[in-house]
Amino acid sequence: MSIHPGTAAKHKAPDSQAAANAPKVRRRSPTRVNPALYLFPLPAVAVIAFFLVMPTLQAFQYAITDWNGFSAAFNYVGLDNFIRAFTNDSLFTNALTNNLKFVLLVVIAQTFFSLILALLLTKNSRGSILLRALFFFPTILSSVSVAFIWKFIYDPNFGLANSVLRTVGVDGGAYLGNDAQALYWVAVTQVWFHSGQMMVVYIAGLQAIPRELYEAAEMDGANKWQQFKSITWPFVAPATSIVVAYTTVQSFKAFDLILGIAGNPPKSSLDILSTRIYSTFANSEFGYAAAQSIIFMAMIALVTWLQRRLLRLTPKGE
Amino acid sequence: MSQISRRQAVALLGALGFGAAAAACAGPGGSPKPAGASGPAAPSTGAVTGKVSFAHWRGEDKAVFDELIKRFAAKHDGVEVAQDISTSNDYNAQALQKLRGGSIGDAFATFRGAQFKNFTEAGIYTELKDSQAVKNYQKGLLSAGQNGDSQLGLPYQVVFPMPMANLDLFDKAGAEIAPKNWDAFLGMCEKLASAGVIPISWPGGDVGNGGQLFNCMIANNAPVDDMCAQIEQGKLKCTDDWFIKMLNQYKDLRPFVQPNATGTAVEPAQNLFSQGKAAMLATGSYHLAAVRGLGAKFPIDLVFPNTTSDGNGKYEGAYNATFILGVNSASKNQAAAAAWIDFLSEPENAGYYANQTAQHVSVDKVEYTNPDLKRLSPWLQKKTALAARFQFNNLDVRNAVEASATAVISGTSPEQAAAAAQKIVDERL
Repeated sequence: MSIHPGTAAKHKAPDSQAAANAPKVRRRSPTRVNPALYLFPLPAVAVIAFFLVMPTLQAFQYAITDWNGFSAAFNYVGLDNFIRAFTNDSLFTNALTNNLKFVLLVVIAQTFFSLILALLLTKNSRGSILLRALFFFPTILSSVSVAFIWKFIYDPNFGLANSVLRTVGVDGGAYLGNDAQALYWVAVTQVWFHSGQMMVVYIAGLQAIPRELYEAAEMDGANKWQQFKSITWPFVAPATSIVVAYTTVQSFKAFDLILGIAGNPPKSSLDILSTRIYSTFANSEFGYAAAQSIIFMAMIALVTWLQRRLLRLTPKGE
Repeated sequence: MSQISRRQAVALLGALGFGAAAAACAGPGGSPKPAGASGPAAPSTGAVTGKVSFAHWRGEDKAVFDELIKRFAAKHDGVEVAQDISTSNDYNAQALQKLRGGSIGDAFATFRGAQFKNFTEAGIYTELKDSQAVKNYQKGLLSAGQNGDSQLGLPYQVVFPMPMANLDLFDKAGAEIAPKNWDAFLGMCEKLASAGVIPISWPGGDVGNGGQLFNCMIANNAPVDDMCAQIEQGKLKCTDDWFIKMLNQYKDLRPFVQPNATGTAVEPAQNLFSQGKAAMLATGSYHLAAVRGLGAKFPIDLVFPNTTSDGNGKYEGAYNATFILGVNSASKNQAAAAAWIDFLSEPENAGYYANQTAQHVSVDKVEYTNPDLKRLSPWLQKKTALAARFQFNNLDVRNAVEASATAVISGTSPEQAAAAAQKIVDERL
């Protein structure tokens, strides 16, 4: 039973004299420590201040200027750069649209594909282990290598994709040369590149499920779908939160893959926010590029926060 | 040592953070003037000695420059030249920041166009108008290094951004190597196609290399020589008749480029040409060494797609003067840096560079011994237009305008493609 604070105070009042006569309990003074101890975090603080805090603050400052990155002359332009990005720069809005489309495509495909892989390869048989290694293999490659490998796979003249199609009498397409399809083909590459890694996250979740649950479900006559719905999914749901969050951030920042596969600058059908920011810096619009970077940062933070709010997938009972 | 409270410690760290914030709020660029760079006075004179840093992006020329450095050092006691080589992308992004302090790049190279303009505005160049070097160049090829009356840089290489032709395939098809007008050019492509080869290998998937054809297509179509500068300034428009006419000529090329050309990267395009599957490679003479490296054995010449209807075009070809040499105004060793530039500009040394790298140079009286350069040398005397695409200073505008041509090849109507490009230009005005 809780006591109302006011009531408690009233009850204590008659004892105040006694309390005054009681031996004084020493009040805790502010912690006093040897100042030398405070020197230990200083290198870390200095590194964070100079390599994280300062550049971030500077980015905010540059974002409200028209600085070109080279000259001493610049003007403060307020929020003009931010307004321009959304009202008078179709290259930026195109990159934003491409990026959101790319993130959506990759998150859905990669989550689904890596879950399927994990479900198929959870058992510790020799074949499964070999296949797991095979699917995990792309993850250890550098993104630049992956970009170059796929660039040649997609080449319409000498590429693997069209060579295979030609053997069955089909004329392949231009792939990256087709503006309507290019982003989808890069999404395929991104899914191939990272699904192995996400598969491992799912396998870890799957292997934590007690076998007895499945045995009991089978005895009760539950079919495979019912077992998945009632046992597997509740257990792997938290892993899905991780997979989706990680994949989202990864797809937002697929800079090296896009630049490697599409060249610099990428054409507009493959331009995403990070490549657009890079192009703006290269175009000597430092202030505007800084504003775009801040929008980009805010967008990732917002999407990640939204995901955390919307995808609170936890096992039942928690 | 006396003890401090937690509050005092927090205050100390706060002060440090405040200091960082205050430092961050210093003006962009950090200094009111580019450190050390002082603008275009002539390089200082004195003894040719000490260390010279030579900054550039042509890693593939390192061995050739090493040999030239040896020869230079043999002429001057105590002088040392070190190459500071970046990739071309890094050079574009960082060179000015590196050079403005003068610690590297006593002598340096720049790209033509936006980079040259940025370097000029930052006061990085010294004035070379009265230098020994400038006297060795062909007068007509120096304009890319000029700013008003000043000769700030010396455009060293000369490249021809025109389609290279496999002469064996042209002979076999009975195709004309120098078509007089647009119909003749299309007729030539027709003959090549009838002979069973791809007339033009075009790397439409590579923005930089695919864009070189634009220099030829625009040269005789535009009403003025500074057409790209005027597009960027809004004085000319992509939706103008002359530009639409040029895009319609791109449309004429659709049947003559390889299938799915807009998805072809530069290396596969080079392969089609080197393997004799394509009669032309629509990039430029700067790919001579690359296609020879890929095994091309046939004789190579250049073809100019003359876009005029009557053959009375102003230009017979297109060229670009790039790799612009300069002496850093912030350098502490300008005398030796200027001597190095003088040395590179002597016909004998420029000739060595040219023949070893398969690149023409702007230096006069150079003897070309490389068979490809010898064959293409007559182009140095023709009336060629300075590559127009490098007039753009805004890369977004350049890419958008060139992308209109790629869009037409991939099936978009010229009018639609032009309108899309003009939209970007309008936004950047």
